[in-house]
Amino acid sequence: MKITQREVGSAAILDLNGKLTGGPDADAFRDVFKSLLDQDKKNIIVNLEKVSWINSTGLGILIHNYNTVRRSGGDMVVMHASERIESILYVTKLNLLFKSFNSEEEAVRSFTQATR
Amino acid sequence: MGKHNNVEHMILNIPSDLKYLGAVDAAIQDLAREFSFSPDAINDVSTALVEACSNAIEHGNHFSKDKRVVVTLRFNGSTFVATVRDEGTGFDFAKAMRDEAGPDPMSERGRGILIMRAFTDDLQFRNENNGLTVELTKLRGGGGDAGE
Repeated sequence: MKITQREVGSAAILDLNGKLTGGPDADAFRDVFKSLLDQDKKNIIVNLEKVSWINSTGLGILIHNYNTVRRSGGDMVVMHASERIESILYVTKLNLLFKSFNSEEEAVRSFTQATR
Repeated sequence: MGKHNNVEHMILNIPSDLKYLGAVDAAIQDLAREFSFSPDAINDVSTALVEACSNAIEHGNHFSKDKRVVVTLRFNGSTFVATVRDEGTGFDFAKAMRDEAGPDPMSERGRGILIMRAFTDDLQFRNENNGLTVELTKLRGGGGDAGE
């Protein structure tokens, strides 16, 4: 799993590329999230566009970091999830936990609306 | 790919390393497509199989270099049956299968069976002397529970 970081407005966007399955992915995620929170960047978008699939351990990684961000007073949303990943989020009911967006603009705007 | 009693079958014997999940995914996607499974059914069966293999590697074999995961794929034209066997000590699957609601939304674990059950038409577990075998069945046009 490759993670590339960029910023749009008040949001930090993590572009993922590969398969989210656990193992080294967990360490990479933890390091990136820790670095963002250390810099007080608490509005985080996880871009799943280039994630081909995810397993239950990968879901656990997302939940762990979501919980970390929420405890810090921030929020994490996902965007561009494929139909396959959306269906996994649906059956595991994580669609109720993670806000999911089909456009980057909407995802970025969601943080502004949340703080109004 | 072998042929026995009009059943096409393939056996994959992989190390206990998550990097081999991609090979399992590619194999099942190609085979299911060859047997004219619908795109949705292909995604379903692949998602369930990858989950079963992940569990075998992580929870069954604990990533041991000395242990293998054996995946058997069988097609008979309308039905696909996969078995995933690890070399672990098994687990209390009956208890896990009774928990239809799944874990607390904030919990980081406990969604593997939920995923396998949702994306297959039948799911069976067998604790055996030398490991756990998971059997996943998918009908060619079947949808499981996912997205329904």
